[in-house]
Amino acid sequence: MFKKLVGRRDFMKSSLAGFGGFFFLPSNQEKQEVKFVEAKGKERKFVYRTLGKTGLKLPVINMGVMNTDNPNLVRAALEAGVVMLDTAQTYQRGQNEGMIGEVLKGRPRDSYVLATKAHPPTNQATGLYTEEATEEAYLRKIDTSLKNLGLDYVDIYHHHGVSKRESALFEPVLNALQKAKRDGKIRFTGITTHMNEPEVIHAAVDSKSYDVILTAYSFQQKHHAEVGAAIARAAQAGIGIVGMKAIRGGSRQGATGKDAAAALKWVLQNPNVHTIVPGYITFEEMNIALSVMEDLTLSDSEKKGLQKEASLPGLYCQGCRQCLGQCPEHLPIPDLMRAYMYTYGYRNLTHAQDLVLSLNLPKRVCEDCSECSVKCSSGFNISGKIRDVIRIREVPSEFIG
Amino acid sequence: MMKKRYPVVCLLFVCLILGVNNSARASDSGWKTFVFPEVTGWRQSGEIQTFQPENLFDYIDGAADLYLSYDFQELKVAEYRNEKKASVIVEVYRHRTPTHAFGIYSQERLANANFIDVGTQGYIETNVLNFLVGPYYVKINSYNTGAEDQGILLTFAKKVSENLGEKGSLPSILSSFPEEGKKKTSEKFIAIKFLGYSFLHSAFTADYELSGTKFKLFVIEGRDHTECGNMIQRYLQQTGSREKNIIEGRYTIADPYHGEIEVEWRGKYIWGILNVNDPSLRLKYLKLFGEELKKK
Repeated sequence: MFKKLVGRRDFMKSSLAGFGGFFFLPSNQEKQEVKFVEAKGKERKFVYRTLGKTGLKLPVINMGVMNTDNPNLVRAALEAGVVMLDTAQTYQRGQNEGMIGEVLKGRPRDSYVLATKAHPPTNQATGLYTEEATEEAYLRKIDTSLKNLGLDYVDIYHHHGVSKRESALFEPVLNALQKAKRDGKIRFTGITTHMNEPEVIHAAVDSKSYDVILTAYSFQQKHHAEVGAAIARAAQAGIGIVGMKAIRGGSRQGATGKDAAAALKWVLQNPNVHTIVPGYITFEEMNIALSVMEDLTLSDSEKKGLQKEASLPGLYCQGCRQCLGQCPEHLPIPDLMRAYMYTYGYRNLTHAQDLVLSLNLPKRVCEDCSECSVKCSSGFNISGKIRDVIRIREVPSEFIG
Repeated sequence: MMKKRYPVVCLLFVCLILGVNNSARASDSGWKTFVFPEVTGWRQSGEIQTFQPENLFDYIDGAADLYLSYDFQELKVAEYRNEKKASVIVEVYRHRTPTHAFGIYSQERLANANFIDVGTQGYIETNVLNFLVGPYYVKINSYNTGAEDQGILLTFAKKVSENLGEKGSLPSILSSFPEEGKKKTSEKFIAIKFLGYSFLHSAFTADYELSGTKFKLFVIEGRDHTECGNMIQRYLQQTGSREKNIIEGRYTIADPYHGEIEVEWRGKYIWGILNVNDPSLRLKYLKLFGEELKKK
């Protein structure tokens, strides 16, 4: 008599069983269209997918503008065929929106899709919104974005930087977004998340208030299967899915063009992701990102490269704190891993030494255990790294700086 | 024997890890002793939060990337509350050098801001006071502070600035930009990939307006003559120029994205002008700029 809906838990279970254990998804290109776009005498292949129930047909590669103040780069992207620009009110304190507004002046309004975002005032200690986070205050933020951009409306307005279910369901923001939509100030409502993404995505689906989700999604995420499952549920509910952080800081970790392209392709192999917004800051990076559309299929060498990178325990402690309590000497392992990262990642020996000395470690560290009992969730060789980094205690500070 | 070798071993350890140098050192001394100030009528609420490059995203979301490009090192955040349930949040961002701190500050500074005398430079708005001091970029936000807002923000700013040490000065190269037509406080420092090219590293820029013509001047300070020569060569190659004999002097670069750019190279400086069609205006500003740079 009534339609049985698939619940969140059931959906997660079935989705995870379906592809949770697989790093690569089968390619699915049925729901995409291909068009050749000519710019500056150069023809380029563009692949389009539909952003859920918004009906917007977008190239699978667009532009996150957050890292650049270069209007000619934004112009070049639009002229090359990019349609969606993603910014936020906080980027350069509204000047990123202002710069984009200048670029968009005089362009036909239906030739681009503008997405921006703002978050309500947040108590940084609890991660919860403060008393000042009212519907009226959020509506004022939307008006500020419109003013910065010089537009009558934006296409997508995102509830920005959400990491908790209760924040995703926070009524004053939901009400403000719906009111702005009714008033014609925004076409579609959105939510962004790059922490605790599965919880936020499920909450966004449950709320039935959001048209678009902008989420971190990367082959380097330890929980990418859970994010993928949440994305699948959201896409099935008709929500448009935009991916971000596909390269996860690749630019500053020295990712080559090939690595970056493979990372972007990895995200797009998931047909539930409708588009991504890489934050390129050079014309070369733009061309690499756009060239991904020539062939979205991951080559064998690209797959191998991604698998290798994903399987390498990184330099960065994930801060899960699961190691605490495992060490019989009760060593402050996360702090020591941080010191290791300062030493070898940031090459800041002063910081590393200060940190190690502040920990008041015993004289003998990791010397009395025949075998280390600590199992790191990231696969770090804990005792090896500790033995290595505590040597910095012995280095006279005048040698460091 | 061991004693003699000990310093060498230490030095090797340090050199192996650091590679060339560690210019962060200069900015560390004030940071070590920095404490958030006590302010009469206010108490610190909760723990002081600390963020490093790897988790800055947790605090400022997607804005973090830009901070990282300006060699962000560490952020400390303190929240204060008073009996009237007002709150003030003080964020101190430490960057590798004062120039990098200026860079990120300049990215967020509005040219028509209400500037105040705090730190190297700062400005105030309702519920917001941001300032620069040495390698630190300080952002103070207030909530429920009512009519006393500005006074409260200024009190906090002065105390935080004092605790961070010497106020320092803006990058000296900014004084080389010609004054005529320069938009006040429009100077910026772009830390990487200037003009969207990976072969051009950092640059200082300033906006100009003269008789309705809006344009931009920039200067790139290279390590030395050779590095600047290489940058010019790469730029010319990139834009399809067949110029082979790269020597110090003036070049007109037909940039497919930025239009014609007139640049001049002398020693470790490359300076140039963007968005100007009038050759005499280009020449005038390149000459003025060159004369100022010569004094450095």
